[in-house]
Amino acid sequence: MTRKSLVIMRGEFMRRATSKTFILTTLLAPVLLIGFFAIIGFAATYMIEDIPGERAELDDVPRRVAIVDETDVLGDRIMNQDVGRYVFVKSEDNSAHDDVLSGALDAYVHISDESISGVSQPVLYVRRGGRLVDQEELAGIIEKSLQDHLLSQHNMTISAEVRAILDRSVWLDTVRLSNPEEEDRSSYSYAVLGGVLGMIMYMALIIYGSLIMYGTIEERTTRVVEVIISSVSPFDLLMGKVLGVGLVGLVQMTIWIMMMFGGLILAGPIIGMLMDPGMYDLSTTVNNQDILSVANISLPHISGALVIWYILYFIAGYLFYGGLFATVGALVDSPEEAQTLLLPLITPLIIQVIFLSPIILNPDSGIALGLSLFPMTSPVPMTLRLAVGDVPIWQLLLSYGLLVFSFLGSIWISARIYRANILTYGKKASLKKIFGYFINS
Amino acid sequence: MGSLILHDVTKRFGRITAASEISFRATPGRILGLLGPNGAGKTTTIRMIANILTPDEGAITLDGRTVGAWSQERMGYLPEERGLYKKIEVNRQLRYLAALKGVHPEDSTDRIQYWMSRLGLKEWGMRKAQDLSKGMQQKVQFIATVLAEPQLIILDEPFSGLDPVNSEVLLEIIAEMKQAGRIILFASHRMEQVERLCDDICLIAEGRLVLSGDLKEVKQRFKRDKLALDYKGMAPFLDTMEKMGEIQFLERYEGGCTLRISDNCNPRALLDQLLSVPDLELYRFELLQPSLNEIFIKTVGGEV
Repeated sequence: MTRKSLVIMRGEFMRRATSKTFILTTLLAPVLLIGFFAIIGFAATYMIEDIPGERAELDDVPRRVAIVDETDVLGDRIMNQDVGRYVFVKSEDNSAHDDVLSGALDAYVHISDESISGVSQPVLYVRRGGRLVDQEELAGIIEKSLQDHLLSQHNMTISAEVRAILDRSVWLDTVRLSNPEEEDRSSYSYAVLGGVLGMIMYMALIIYGSLIMYGTIEERTTRVVEVIISSVSPFDLLMGKVLGVGLVGLVQMTIWIMMMFGGLILAGPIIGMLMDPGMYDLSTTVNNQDILSVANISLPHISGALVIWYILYFIAGYLFYGGLFATVGALVDSPEEAQTLLLPLITPLIIQVIFLSPIILNPDSGIALGLSLFPMTSPVPMTLRLAVGDVPIWQLLLSYGLLVFSFLGSIWISARIYRANILTYGKKASLKKIFGYFINS
Repeated sequence: MGSLILHDVTKRFGRITAASEISFRATPGRILGLLGPNGAGKTTTIRMIANILTPDEGAITLDGRTVGAWSQERMGYLPEERGLYKKIEVNRQLRYLAALKGVHPEDSTDRIQYWMSRLGLKEWGMRKAQDLSKGMQQKVQFIATVLAEPQLIILDEPFSGLDPVNSEVLLEIIAEMKQAGRIILFASHRMEQVERLCDDICLIAEGRLVLSGDLKEVKQRFKRDKLALDYKGMAPFLDTMEKMGEIQFLERYEGGCTLRISDNCNPRALLDQLLSVPDLELYRFELLQPSLNEIFIKTVGGEV
């Protein structure tokens, strides 16, 4: 690297790192991203997993639920159950339907005759856009009534003690095994960690790549580029620019990672504070760690190796895409014109995000392996796999080697196209032109 | 300090030859005018001198060394198509551009202050370039060109967009730099500016050098075939001469005319004839030196 590309690098870095946009995005992006994932995670937990104590938080208003009972036996048993959150009323099918639609009722349950034999299932009707009704809780209440009815048919009654025993449920705790012997709890928190890291990588590649592209377009449209390249070679300009913006990215990433560490350290106490030990039959004197572990919330552990590989993938992935984005900038006269040329660059980036959740769910699948080896798509999937599980070292080295090899190639090609086109204004970029210049230069 | 020498420099883009066997020498303390119509190959030639393009054939040397990255630091280039970063403060971009030429930040701060106040921009250093008028931006670009105190200064249409007052300031600075022994390359298609400013000229047309040398010498190479006459009275024989094809009126007005004399007309004989007309009072009889524009048209055979 020459002294001049260092000057360019410093100029790009100072100009961008001191801008208001930089400061704002650095501070706000993690907040938005974590908020986004928290919402998704919360919804997913509620919908998929029946975790004791993590039932969806409904508001305190009791739900008015009508029971349309064809069996003539279950209705009374349901009404007799003392569930503070529900006010049950008996009703006819038609009027219940209308009442739910009008909002007079929150829901109604239709229990057909055959529900007792198990041939059909009760159906819950709620109004679209109406207040939330905990479907699982209601199912539990009906289930209990059905069990009591069936028991009584066989002249069996069960005491409160037996009922309590039957109500006991088991939550299956997940422990991730890996070599060397380290144990981690809750793959869910790792999925969130992987998702956040993957999204940050994806956003960083697009944002910093675009910064380089817009910077190049600006220099061309303002014609300042001719003055610049009468002082430095186009290659130095390209390198200085890519490295300068990359350094901005690295600083931003480091801040984000530090914020994440800080967040993880603070998250335990904060979540602990928000939770009521009474919910888990714990004494009020227990510490946060105990609450979190009983509530099955464990915070992911970020290893040093993950951080190092993450940064290495960011650097190589960024250099790979950075050079290509700069080339697009050198070929067009306006951001609008860049759209078609950007398609082949953005597509592999988007593919990485599309496969975010399949890879989290199955980090050792063929598709995960394929994507994490192919250089155009490897940065996000590979860091994702590293975050949620173990990756064989040969895969890691092969993937990274391919990426480094490709970025060297992309910079080489980019430098040539860049040099040949940086001073041609007002001509539409075509493949023929790009490669024509490439061959001539 | 040595000269800038171009020796048979050729540059092709695909099948188009943008510059063909161009040779000239620009010496310190003199201003060389690079003339030619748009698309003649001026910009290509300049870009090769500035090491933005590499010649396919021939050599360009400064101080006897082939131009390259090293010479870029000793050269200031004001391109015809020029601009500034819109959203960056003027001082900051000047410092950046100077740093690219290898100027130490401390030196550039002093120089920027000097030039900004000299060109009346003292108050504008902390403003973004987009807040400046076009003329002010032109001046900032000029400052960027001379900030590194270059040995070779290339100015491509430096006066376009400047008002007369600022043009004069610029002319004064260019004259100073000439005095200081810099090599100055001045590209333009405005003939009267080149004529006024330059010591040497190079005429380029269709990628070829068609005429070059000391401006006065070049002019002397061309015959004085234009005659300006001011008189009182009648000279009907002039009409006869025009019919005979000896002269051609270029302009006629009350009390005078300009005309072109052909090869078969002897100016001396014409003067004698005018003096011999009894009622004619002759005030002016001047054989005019051809203008650069006329020389160009004669040489290239087209308008500039």
